[in-house]
Amino acid sequence: MGAKPAVAACLLALALAACGAGDRERDAAAVTEHFHAALEAGDGQAACAELSEETASKLEQQEQKACEEAILGLELPKGGTVTVRQVEVRSAYTQVAEGGADFLDEGPEGWKISAAGCRPTAPEQPYECELEG
Amino acid sequence: MPRFIKNNGLSIVFLVLFLAAVSGQAIAGRADFNEEQVRHGNPEISLSRYVVSSDYGVAVMENWQSEYLQFTLFVLLTVWLLQRGSPESKELDKAGLESDEQQKVGPHAQQNSPAWAKVEGIRRRIYENSLLLVMGTIWIGTWLAQSVTGLAQFNSERLDHQMDTIGWWSYVGKPDFWERTLQNWQSEFLAVGSMAILAVYLRQRGSPESKPVGSPHTATGVEG
Repeated sequence: MGAKPAVAACLLALALAACGAGDRERDAAAVTEHFHAALEAGDGQAACAELSEETASKLEQQEQKACEEAILGLELPKGGTVTVRQVEVRSAYTQVAEGGADFLDEGPEGWKISAAGCRPTAPEQPYECELEG
Repeated sequence: MPRFIKNNGLSIVFLVLFLAAVSGQAIAGRADFNEEQVRHGNPEISLSRYVVSSDYGVAVMENWQSEYLQFTLFVLLTVWLLQRGSPESKELDKAGLESDEQQKVGPHAQQNSPAWAKVEGIRRRIYENSLLLVMGTIWIGTWLAQSVTGLAQFNSERLDHQMDTIGWWSYVGKPDFWERTLQNWQSEFLAVGSMAILAVYLRQRGSPESKPVGSPHTATGVEG
């Protein structure tokens, strides 16, 4: 392969990767907005559908209730639009305008929320989350 | 044997070995990655997805950058530094850039010398240092690539643990970046140093990396 075609191929790959990254950020943001919109609407089932299995299961064990009932009892932002979104490999971070951050993991069914209602604590320490997997 | 293969056998064999090893690294790396995924209850990924991942990227780049640093330093330092008795070193009275006559440049160039060795000025200066320039550029480029892929990997783990991500400037001051860098550098420097000193006393018949078997230990800058 000559030098020019190789350079062009590399630049094209980088451009495609950048476009792909933008799509994935939008998908993660959409899941977050849908989750908080469901909470605002009082739709626990729709909110739980956006959670990872591990997080939903842990919530049920802790609260001793079905997820769709337990989720509505948590102090999580209701509604709002995503103002910050970031994807790194298969993990994502989103922040809604009304405050609180969510962390997501990408699985076979797309992005799922693994932790929600998170706030920073000390530097270089994990966020403290209202809902955690 | 076709003449092309005979004349280029060394490059061809090492190219094949490289392709086999980098492919093997992808297969083993993906298997290792997927074991970790399963441990965390995450789905496994395909080989095609793995080879464009930052996990594979940082693993390849951290090794490439140290190899090219090794060659960059070796090419540079052997201009001035000597090792008595080593075939890796110049002869003891030849430290430095040597004369134009010794280097066959300018008016001392031969008819079949490379074109830029015959000319004066900036082109000859560039060609005189072309090996160092290319090796050094590749080293810097792959080290930069290591930092970018390493940052993505590092930030992914931070997000997994519900922590903030950091920027590139913060990452290149982090132990993760320097541990990856220095673990590779130490082995490269050890390899060059070992080769330089072992070849003083040991021989490999037929290899240009060795002195002739019957060469005295004190013979410097001779090849087998």
